Amino acid sequence: MTAAEVHRPAPEAAPPPAARPVPGWLRLGWLYLISRHAPGAAAVLAGLGAVLWASLHWHWNVAGGAAAQQAIPLAIETGAAMVIAVTCYGPFGEPERATGRWLPYLRLAGALLLTAAAFGALAAGSAAGGLPGGIPALLRNVAGMTGTGLLAAAILGGALGWTAPLIYLVVTEGAFAGSWTTPWAWPTRPPHDLGGALCAGAVFAAGLLATTVRGARESVRD
Amino acid sequence: MTATTLPVRSQPRAGRTAPAGLARLLRVELRRNTMPWVLPLIALVFWFDSYRIAATLPPLWNSRTFYVLGQGHSLIDFAPFVAGVAAWMGSRDGRRGLTDLVTTSARSRFAAQFATWAATAIWAVGGYLIFMTATFWALSRSIVWGGPPYWPVAVGAVGVAAFSAAGFAAGAYFPTRFTAPVAAFGGLLACGMSSQIGFQSYGGWGLILPTNSNNNYGQDAGIFYQFLPDLPVARVMFLAGVTVALVALLGVRATAGGLRLRHIATVVAAAGAALAVTAIALAFTARVTSYGTVIPALHDAANDRPIPYTPVCGQAAGVPVCVQPAYQAYLPDVTAALRPVLGQTDGLPGAPVRVGQVATVFFNATGRGPQTSVGQVSTLRGEPPVLSMPLNVFNLPGSFGANQTQFTDEIKLQAVHAIVTRGGPLGDPAQIAVEAALMQHAGIPLAAQPRQVLAPSPWALPSNEPHPGTTYPRQIAAAAQRFAALPAATRHAWLASHLPALRAGRVSLAQLP
Repeated sequence: MTAAEVHRPAPEAAPPPAARPVPGWLRLGWLYLISRHAPGAAAVLAGLGAVLWASLHWHWNVAGGAAAQQAIPLAIETGAAMVIAVTCYGPFGEPERATGRWLPYLRLAGALLLTAAAFGALAAGSAAGGLPGGIPALLRNVAGMTGTGLLAAAILGGALGWTAPLIYLVVTEGAFAGSWTTPWAWPTRPPHDLGGALCAGAVFAAGLLATTVRGARESVRD
Repeated sequence: MTATTLPVRSQPRAGRTAPAGLARLLRVELRRNTMPWVLPLIALVFWFDSYRIAATLPPLWNSRTFYVLGQGHSLIDFAPFVAGVAAWMGSRDGRRGLTDLVTTSARSRFAAQFATWAATAIWAVGGYLIFMTATFWALSRSIVWGGPPYWPVAVGAVGVAAFSAAGFAAGAYFPTRFTAPVAAFGGLLACGMSSQIGFQSYGGWGLILPTNSNNNYGQDAGIFYQFLPDLPVARVMFLAGVTVALVALLGVRATAGGLRLRHIATVVAAAGAALAVTAIALAFTARVTSYGTVIPALHDAANDRPIPYTPVCGQAAGVPVCVQPAYQAYLPDVTAALRPVLGQTDGLPGAPVRVGQVATVFFNATGRGPQTSVGQVSTLRGEPPVLSMPLNVFNLPGSFGANQTQFTDEIKLQAVHAIVTRGGPLGDPAQIAVEAALMQHAGIPLAAQPRQVLAPSPWALPSNEPHPGTTYPRQIAAAAQRFAALPAATRHAWLASHLPALRAGRVSLAQLP
């Protein structure tokens, strides 16, 4: 057998199945999501949805006033925002930025996709019933808190992006305790409050913009 | 000289250089740590959640540190961030795919991980201690007497180390980018649950939680008597045991180092767990005394000695009124509240010739419920009679929603009730009516008394509903109005001749003038 014959299929071998071509944009998107550990994030978000379901189903609650009643759902929404924030940074850094003009769009799509996944997971978890504020408040809170995480990722770095939703949660608990009425503390507002929704939407939009244009800040202090 | 003639080295060089190498590694890890970058964020949260609230509370150490240390908010502010950052540091090598590389390096894997954890914990605990020092300094500027409790600070510091160990271990065992936020979320939930259990638990294992203030923080601890260190010592044991066990777990893994190291790590982890379990067992032996929670095995009798002080005195209707110097800022309020009461009772048989503050003590918190078990109230005792009055720090103006009117009204009620009943449970109808009339002339309208003054006191009016009665029964209200409408001299003369019988419960409602 010569080397040239190696590339020839054996006469009795079946012909290889025709590979279905995957669209380039889909493959690019999938590779981007893999580089950001999006499947892992989706698994954690599903876990948070399960925790929310359990907390509502078994009536976990914290003794106290309005802040305490929302403490567990808000903490879970914060957890979802923290998870999304740490998906912002990638392992490639400069080469990634230099080789593709699609990167900003991929960042935008990735953030939107994971936010939608977080909302979907928590909405499914809220099926147990009794979520304070219902689905509108859930959407507003998840979007707004994710916005804080995306902004923090752009400013502090993807590794520390999770700190901002946590800080916002503490501020919100203080706002509950102090009976603040500012719409910037949107979890304290009624679910259909326009001011709260606008503020949460503005923070989410700012976070998306920062992520899209700049991406997560890279720090040598990983 | 040939190689064979060279002297044999008596000790391996590594034995002398290991500590220096480890110290150098620690220095490197301290420089390369993420924790200092997060400390400013924690400072922001700490200021907002702990200091901002504490600074609004009455200027007594007991009161001002209740929220920060008693309910553990200083630890709650640190814990999620520390757990998250520690998880980030613990997962560093795994996330970078360097585990195999560093495992084959000269130093054992455990030594390297220990240095990383130690650097993280040093930054976190150091930050906690610096923040607490700054908080104490800022809070102390308006506190005139006493000193802060230090054992709860130690609990917080060891608690921070425990959360750093938990986060680090999570990061080392599950090195993904999601471990940090999940560890922070876990820290948040742990603190929330700890607070929840701490609010409700008065005994058993719940006492070991650093967020539990029941029966061990508050009352007049640090003012009339010492902050008992029994429970904080048990908490330090528990948290230190958890920390040691979690850190030692890093050395149990096959990649941690040699067999000897792994055996030692296993023993140390077991010892840490045993220490934590011992602390929980000690918490089960705790009992509540007047001065707080005592754990017999840890108790030092020297801590039972009252704190000596020189009282600060004023005058109310010619009667000396003395308070503990820590409360001197409230002496004008106390004398102003007592003046209209003592002015009405001056010269009556058994009327107080002196008013002195006494300690508010710990007792079984469940005793606050039933009206028959009057807890800490003013009493009239001795010959000549002395009105002994506890001033609870939680009733002081500015303390968790209390205001000056509530504070002074409470003092008026306490004084009137002590003079009419000597300080017993809710009186008979005639006693209630006379008290109502005296309080009305002391400045509390009759209609407002049941809801504003009696309801939050140990003498709430009975009701068919779960809430206390909000109006006097019609007959009592009528008798009180009738008695209050008498001229002051007539009222005083009737009390002068009937007060002993009224105190003894031998006066009926119909016999009131």
